[in-house]
Amino acid sequence: MRNLRLPGFALAIPAWVWLAVFFIAPVGVVFWYSFGYKPGLFGTHANDKLSLDRYLEVLTPTFFDTFVATMWIALAGTALCLVIGGPVAYWMAVKSPPAWRGLLLALVLVPFWTNFLVRTIGWQVILAPEGWASQAAQAIGLPAFDILYTRAAVLLGVVYNYLPLMILPLYVAFDRVGEPLREASRDLGANRLRTFWRVTLPLARPGIIVGVLLVYIPLMGDYITATVLGGAKGNMVGQMVAAQFQTAQNWALGSAMAVTLILVIVLSAGVVGALLWLVSWPMRRANRLVLGEVGS
Amino acid sequence: MSATSNRIRRPLLDRLLPVWAVLVFAFLFAPIIVIVVYSFNTGRLLSSFTSFGIESFLALFEKPVLLDAVMVSLRTGAIAAVLATVLGTLAGIALARRTGKWTAWFVGLLVLVSVTPEIVDAISLLPWLVFLGQDLGLSLFNDGTVRLVVGHSLFSVAVVSYIVRARLVGLPANLEEASADLYAPPLRTFRKITLPLAMPAVLAGLLLSFTFSLDNTIVSSFVQVSGATPWPVYVLSALRGGLRPEIAAVSTIMLLLTLAALAVVALVLRRAGDSSTEIARTIAGG
Repeated sequence: MRNLRLPGFALAIPAWVWLAVFFIAPVGVVFWYSFGYKPGLFGTHANDKLSLDRYLEVLTPTFFDTFVATMWIALAGTALCLVIGGPVAYWMAVKSPPAWRGLLLALVLVPFWTNFLVRTIGWQVILAPEGWASQAAQAIGLPAFDILYTRAAVLLGVVYNYLPLMILPLYVAFDRVGEPLREASRDLGANRLRTFWRVTLPLARPGIIVGVLLVYIPLMGDYITATVLGGAKGNMVGQMVAAQFQTAQNWALGSAMAVTLILVIVLSAGVVGALLWLVSWPMRRANRLVLGEVGS
Repeated sequence: MSATSNRIRRPLLDRLLPVWAVLVFAFLFAPIIVIVVYSFNTGRLLSSFTSFGIESFLALFEKPVLLDAVMVSLRTGAIAAVLATVLGTLAGIALARRTGKWTAWFVGLLVLVSVTPEIVDAISLLPWLVFLGQDLGLSLFNDGTVRLVVGHSLFSVAVVSYIVRARLVGLPANLEEASADLYAPPLRTFRKITLPLAMPAVLAGLLLSFTFSLDNTIVSSFVQVSGATPWPVYVLSALRGGLRPEIAAVSTIMLLLTLAALAVVALVLRRAGDSSTEIARTIAGG
């Protein structure tokens, strides 16, 4: 029967090989490039002298300011997604009529499954100063729209594009808490606010963290939204990295930026995750709730 | 209202939440509706609506470039989705059923793949594919579709692995053990028990990978070769020269196709006995 005894990880070998060849190796090469330099006008990279100079260059204000700006957009976008999507996910999972929930989920998914470039262009049409929405606003006495190609438009675009990624895990998290627990909390005399703060929210915490990371991480690397809606003002790190490879032809500097971007993402995601954990720490101490087989 | 409870603000909050939800849903659908409406624009530029007509849809037949780009996207999406699903499903099963010292390393790799932004994949793959194709002479990697498939598969492999693992971890291994005890060879146990158990997650993974591929803009714009331009890259380049209504027309058609695919998957998942929440849970990978 078991004449061929495979090691436990045998089934993972194809995926491992694939990722080794097309992820580890190429990213490793970029890591290597980042210690090199650009030799003259026509070379893209050279590695005969190794140094950390490219990283120091990334840390100069010219480039590092873009990192900071990107992080602000990403943090603000993630926070807005949480604030906007949180109540919707809560309503869908807890308050909406149960028969509607399948349909509501599908509705959240539809934009998620629509090409993200095309959705963004849809916003470009809506926000155009001479567009119909702007004219309608003027007709009722509001000023004409002039937010296209500003930071506000970029923020609107990223919130829009990543909102479903926040609502989905939050919905799952709120749903997982389950009606029986909330009922028990009310039966034990807790009012609604107390039930929310002490039962629903603490139990939904893992989902909140997943949602925050799902939005924050891709947002840090995104630059298409910013290009479409922000114009020249929507400069993001991704754009800067792309420019080093496509126009400036300075692969060494571009590589250092890419490595820095990964580091910034990992570090800041860790900090955000830790902060969320800390914020809810006093809450968890106050009420240790151990869920049995929920979520299996 | 049956608001007989202890708080005055209960009915107020309960009424505010659905209002908020309606507003957010309107926000989510606003640009999609705009694109669908503007696909019937007969004007030269997408953003200035002149009159209502279906000329833009006819352009699909007159401009082979449009259809070619969509076909490249669909073909790449299908191949990348199948590839990522096969690799990810096998890895996910191993992660759920054969845990060991290797698991932590492998999960670490998957996490690294999923936190790496697309632009980093893009800039690292381009020189690498050129190296494989030209320096090593593996002409396979000079092919446009192969390059796109490679680029699109990375993130999807990680996602499918997570989803399949999450699904199987939630299900006890009793059935597989029983099958082995009844002398089913490992391959048959795999085919008859493990795979059917994992099926909803496999389908969700397939669908997700396909959509990720259809959406992929950044990696595609780096690794594509001329003659095999996928749809999003075509749209991105059209953006610079002024968008024409036919782009909205193609998007409308693709939206309808995506909706149909989504409905089919939801139906299949429901047949398999999953509630709507389970479906969302599977798709969200939780």
